[in-house]
Amino acid sequence: MEPVLQMKHITKEFKVLNRREGVKGTLKDLFSRDYKILRAVDDISMDISRGEIVGYLGPNGAGKSTTIKMMTGVLEPTSGEILVGGNVPYKHRTKNAQEIGVVFGQRSQLWWSLPLIESFKILKDIYQIETKDYNDMLELYASLVNMDEIIKKPVRQMSLGQRTLSDILAAFLHNPKMVFLDEPTIGLDVSMKARIRTLIHALNKEKQTTVILTTHDMGDVDALCRRIVIIDHGKMLYDNDIEHLKQFFGAYRTLKLRPFGDRSDAEEKIKATVTDASVSSDDDWISVLVDESKTGVMKVLGQIQEIVKIKDMQLEEISTEEVIKKIYEGGPITQ
Amino acid sequence: MNLKKYVALTKAGIMENLTYRLSTFIMIVGNMLYLLVAYFLWKAIYASSGTDYVNGMSFYDTLIYLTLATALFTFMEMYIVWEIGRNIQSGQIVRDLLIPMDYRRYLFWSYSGSLVTHFVFTFIPTFIVICIVTHGAIPFGWNLPLFMLSVVMAVSINNSIDFFVGGICLYTESIWGINIMKQVLVALFSGATIPIAFFPEPLKTITLHLPFQAIYNTPLNILLGKSGDMAETFTGLGFQLLWCVVMTLISRGFWNFSIRRVTVNGG
Repeated sequence: MEPVLQMKHITKEFKVLNRREGVKGTLKDLFSRDYKILRAVDDISMDISRGEIVGYLGPNGAGKSTTIKMMTGVLEPTSGEILVGGNVPYKHRTKNAQEIGVVFGQRSQLWWSLPLIESFKILKDIYQIETKDYNDMLELYASLVNMDEIIKKPVRQMSLGQRTLSDILAAFLHNPKMVFLDEPTIGLDVSMKARIRTLIHALNKEKQTTVILTTHDMGDVDALCRRIVIIDHGKMLYDNDIEHLKQFFGAYRTLKLRPFGDRSDAEEKIKATVTDASVSSDDDWISVLVDESKTGVMKVLGQIQEIVKIKDMQLEEISTEEVIKKIYEGGPITQ
Repeated sequence: MNLKKYVALTKAGIMENLTYRLSTFIMIVGNMLYLLVAYFLWKAIYASSGTDYVNGMSFYDTLIYLTLATALFTFMEMYIVWEIGRNIQSGQIVRDLLIPMDYRRYLFWSYSGSLVTHFVFTFIPTFIVICIVTHGAIPFGWNLPLFMLSVVMAVSINNSIDFFVGGICLYTESIWGINIMKQVLVALFSGATIPIAFFPEPLKTITLHLPFQAIYNTPLNILLGKSGDMAETFTGLGFQLLWCVVMTLISRGFWNFSIRRVTVNGG
């Protein structure tokens, strides 16, 4: 399928002033020419097809926003090629803006003091949406969310959840090819998160809109994304299916134990006996992370049973969250 | 160019302005209070000067000139520079750059609603009150449509100046000082605080060659029928048009050059 977004070897460098300390340093900085080059995005390539929902992940400061800004045309890449729906975004920012929708979790594009419906009408004129398409879209929205509760409400009086919901609806209003969602569920309660996820999923299904989602909430990723891309320090670490990711790290299982008697004593014993697994503990459990490609969980359990009396045990599959955490912390190797 | 999307922004601006009803009423009342203060202040000045004419202007001339200049000032002072500054510091500019519209146009048209409301709620009431108080010292005729034309050009020049200053803010990332300086310069050289006729000679000549006086002085002189014959009126308009074009070119060029700083360096 024709890709909606193509990135080839995109690199972005920033020139940053080396700031000095203290009042004297700040004064010197006024005339300083001492710049350093900061590479925020380093040789990233990817193709994204129509209708995909891609989770774009990475720790804070990994270069996610910078990449998104280049995709939307607000930033110009230092080198590399980028095409969104056939346009070079930074050269044709206005034209590109017509084809995309953007939601920044903390920033609203809606008219603050006006009821939502007025914002929609303004957007209709700005994006030059045909009346029929506009009405169809509103109908679709009405079938997905309870519009009565938000449509006449001024944005400033909305709860954070309603505002995010409204912002997402506004971003999809002109039926863009691509929608960028930057931490859409940040600060929302559990039920609102679920509603937002359902909405995004439904809109993606209905309109075949490509969605790029950056988030720190693995719940979002599990609920929405089939493909994930992970970057850190500007470099791409992973770009594949979410199943593949789990498979990749799925050889790991966590065996959780609660022993009779003293826990730290038992932990010491286990550490001494079980050599090919890593052992840690928290207030309740001793966790033994077993790499099943090296040794079986049952075998480890057997070994432990011989030295420690077990009161309670659990076996846990590794979650997406833990996988991501491992990747952020540097590669699949444990600890 | 599709006008509809710009008009949508104007409408939004008007609606946003009128949402805060109390603020609208205070705007009208506050303006009337200013009128009262100006009336008694300049009455006192003229009373103490002992003559009816100061620098060729009668009390009514000065009163009309200053109150209308202030009314124009409140409606034309667009705070676009503040807006740009705030947008840059908060990062909102990134959001606004993603509207499928030229950023300058977007900001200007977003503000146009507030222009319209201020025109209706401060300038027109002032104008009516002044007409009544001065017993028809303002002529009614061709000067009115020409005045409107002149105001439109004045708005354009003012907008260009604002964007020029806004462009500087893209480098400094802080605007307070620069904008205050701009406001003082514009207020002084445009004749909004003191009529240009009161300026000492060399300063007056310099002022008349700067773009600022085309913002308030020219439209007011046209409205008051000060500029005697048609020829002088059209010279004023021509002068305005010239500044309009020059300032648009300068500020557009500078802005487009500067905005690259945002897109290249991320602000």
